[in-house]
Order: sequence, then C-alpha cells, then structure tokens
Amino acid sequence: MISISMKDVTKSFGENNVLKGVTFDTHEGEIFGMLGPSGAGKTTIINILTKQFAADGGEVYVSASSNEMGLMLEHDGLFPRLNCLENLIIFEKIYGIPHSRSIEALESVGLAKAHKTAVEKLSRGMRQRLVIARAILHKPKILFLDEPTSALDPLTAQGIYHLIKELRGSGTTIFLTTHNMQEAVNLCDRVVMLHGGTIIEQGDPNEICDRYSAVKTIKDLEAVFVQLTGGGLQ
Amino acid sequence: MKHVNAIFYKQLKDTIKNPAVLMQFIIFPLLAFVLTFLMNMERMTNDMLEALPYGTDVDMVLANMNASMPNMTTMQATVFAGMGLIPIVASIIAEDIEKKSLRFLSMAGIRPTAYLVGIAGVIMFVSLFTSAAFSLIAGFTGLDFIIFTAAMMSGVAGSIVLGATFGIMTRNQQAAAGITMPIALILGFGPIMAQMNPSIARFLHVVYTQQLNVVADYLTIGGVDTPLWQSFGIMWANVALLGLLFVLVFRRKWSIE
Repeated sequence: MISISMKDVTKSFGENNVLKGVTFDTHEGEIFGMLGPSGAGKTTIINILTKQFAADGGEVYVSASSNEMGLMLEHDGLFPRLNCLENLIIFEKIYGIPHSRSIEALESVGLAKAHKTAVEKLSRGMRQRLVIARAILHKPKILFLDEPTSALDPLTAQGIYHLIKELRGSGTTIFLTTHNMQEAVNLCDRVVMLHGGTIIEQGDPNEICDRYSAVKTIKDLEAVFVQLTGGGLQ
Repeated sequence: MKHVNAIFYKQLKDTIKNPAVLMQFIIFPLLAFVLTFLMNMERMTNDMLEALPYGTDVDMVLANMNASMPNMTTMQATVFAGMGLIPIVASIIAEDIEKKSLRFLSMAGIRPTAYLVGIAGVIMFVSLFTSAAFSLIAGFTGLDFIIFTAAMMSGVAGSIVLGATFGIMTRNQQAAAGITMPIALILGFGPIMAQMNPSIARFLHVVYTQQLNVVADYLTIGGVDTPLWQSFGIMWANVALLGLLFVLVFRRKWSIE
C-alpha cells in the first residue's frame, strides 16, 4: 500500500530550481532512503511532504495527517531549559496520550537515566536521541528522519539504526534522508538517489550496487569498533 | 483545551527555569518598595521640611507626601505592565521561533490562538503575584484591591498580545529586544509624561497603559474625569484589536515560512 507518493514535483526558490520533476513512491512499513549530497534537495522534499512548503508543480500524496507524522528535522526544536521528560510531556499533552508513553519513549532511546537532565546540558548524540523519542512518542504512521545520524559517533549511530529497524517492525513507514551511502545500504529497503534536484537512480540498495558492480570489500573500522564495544545505546 | 494546557505547561516550566524572565516580575515591585519606603525615611523627610519656606503648612505637606506614595507605586505598576512585559513576551516567542520549537508545536497541531492563550495564561498567572505585591505596597484592600488587580490584568493582557505580535514578527531574540524596547518605553513611560502634560494625556487617552494609570489615579490621588467603565472598555478594546493583529501576523508568518 502506498504511503508517500510524489509525481513530477517541482520546487524553486527564486532562480534556484531545487526540484526538477521528482517522482517516487514509498510503501507502508518500509525504510525508504533519500540519498544525495548536501544541497541535492533532500530537505526540501521532507519539507514538502510534511506540509511546511507547497510544491510549485506536480502531485504529492502522504497517507498520514500532520499529527500522524513523527518528525526529526534539521533543527531539533527542543526547549533548552526544560529537561528530557518535560520536553516529551508537552507533546504527550498535545497528542492526548498517557504519561507512560513518554517514559517508554525515553527508555527506547536509552535516555531513561537522563530524564531529569536539562536539554542544554545534553551532548549532541543525546539530543538527537531525544528528538527521536519525541518523534515516536505518539506512534506515528510515518516517521521522517532528516540526516538522523549526522555528526554522531558510530556507537550512537548503531543504536539509532537498531531503533529504526525496530520501528519498521512495528509497521511504521520510515522516510530518511542521508548523504551516508553505507548507512543507506545497511538500513534501507529501498532508496532513491537525488542529484541536482533530479532522481538519478532508485530501487533496492544492494541491487543497485550489484547493477553497477559496486560491491567491494573494505576494512571496516566502524564494524570492528561496534563489535568490540558491543553496540547499542548506553 | 489540551493544546492550551500543553503550552501552559511548557511556558510555566520555562518561566520558572529562566532567571532573566523571572527577574522582570520581581524587579518592578522591588523598585516600588524601595521608592515608597526607603525614600520615606524620617531623616530625608526632616531634611525636606527644613528646606521649606517659613510659614508653610507642614502638616499639609506631610499629608500630601503620604497621599502620593501609593501613586508612586502604581506608576511603577504601569511601567511594569507597559514596559516590562512587552519585551518578555516578544523574547519568549522569538526564542521559540529561533530554536524552531514553534514549528514543531505548529506541526503537532497547535493553533495560533491556543499558543497565545497558553503563553498569556502563564504570564497573567505570574503577573497576578506581581500585581498583588504592588497592591500590598500601595495599601489597597477590599474593592480597591479588586479594581486595581482587574486593571493590572487588563494592562498585562494588552502588553502580552502586543509583545506576542512583535515576537512573531521577528526572527530571533536580539531582534525582538531591539524592536520592542522603543515601543515599550513609550507605553510604559507615556502615562507618566501624560501626568505632566495634558496634550500628551489627550493623545494617549485611547492607549491601554494610559487607562491603567487613570484607574490607578482614581484609586490613589482621585480627581479623575474618565469613568471606570470607560477605562476598562478602552483597555479591552485595545486587547481585542491587538489580538486580531496577532492572529493576522501569525497566519501571514506561517504562510510565508
């Protein structure tokens, strides 16, 4: 079942044509990756799908209403003087969900022990995890993650990958943008590659690699580190 | 209602944890206290009395001085409601915009009115304590206390809505402070200037801070021509107009962003 669909979508900011006829579909319960370098138009697509911008042309379909979406955007939008739990309680009240959900969400991102810590005192990785906790608080139908592991250490990133896969298991559609190709191979069921506002390739990431004979063996220090430390969020 | 409740919760927690904002609610009554009681020291009064020309009715001078003390307090109250609150509210909202928190609230379904009512609820709630402190210093009791509190809350409401409008218009806290301060100075000190100049008083007649001061004069020094109902009517007409302006600016800002 189609969860998100864009058909021939265009968007310009002044003279700058950011999207030039973008077309793709995502299906319910899959992890869908939008790949591309900075400035390719990934964030613009998320902004259109989350109804922050309107597209100039084309058709956009999202199967979830605004409050059925979970969002992790470029800026975290957290309240810096409030602690982790208080930040979630605000949204718990907005969505009218039980308090236990905030506790569960904090536990699921490994922040239960830091629930009384003010956001301004959190590390970048912890903030990122708190944003994910806020995004999944109301069990959204679609979760938008804009560069979810950018600037995170490998261990924290692995923890977030694990969490994203768990969410997929519960039926949530996950739409993520990244410029980290390896992340996409490890995580995504399907990807589209965006370059200069145009989709240049799409499909299963492993199949794409095979298609271009791009499979290679590398000395993966990240994997060694994760193996040595046991992975997971601490 | 749950949306207002969420914003009220957020703002109450944030206000308690923000010393810069909390200080604004304390500093004005503190200043009124200092002006009223510390300036009324016996030594200072004696010095002033000694400087009076021979033959002056000292008892009358003392009576006038004592009568004007509550007025000094209510002038501070007007400055608090007019000048103190506008930058506070603008800064709260500008921070929510700058940190992109307002965007997340809006995308979760928070409407402009729920956001404003939630923020205003907290500011009015905390201002009630500030207003009570002013009443205590001015010695208002009974009906005077109720009238003064009602007038203060009307003035506070006007400043909240105006501050919120400026907060929405600006992109960050620094810009909010820059844009609100001149307006806040005029609204806060305008009524004091109006006491010295009838032309300014006529010009400011339709402004809520002037009417707050008129109600305060009614309770302290008397001799006020404007009936109470008219003063309250003008203040709430200000609130309604500014509220309309806030909703328009909020919607326009959102459609642009």
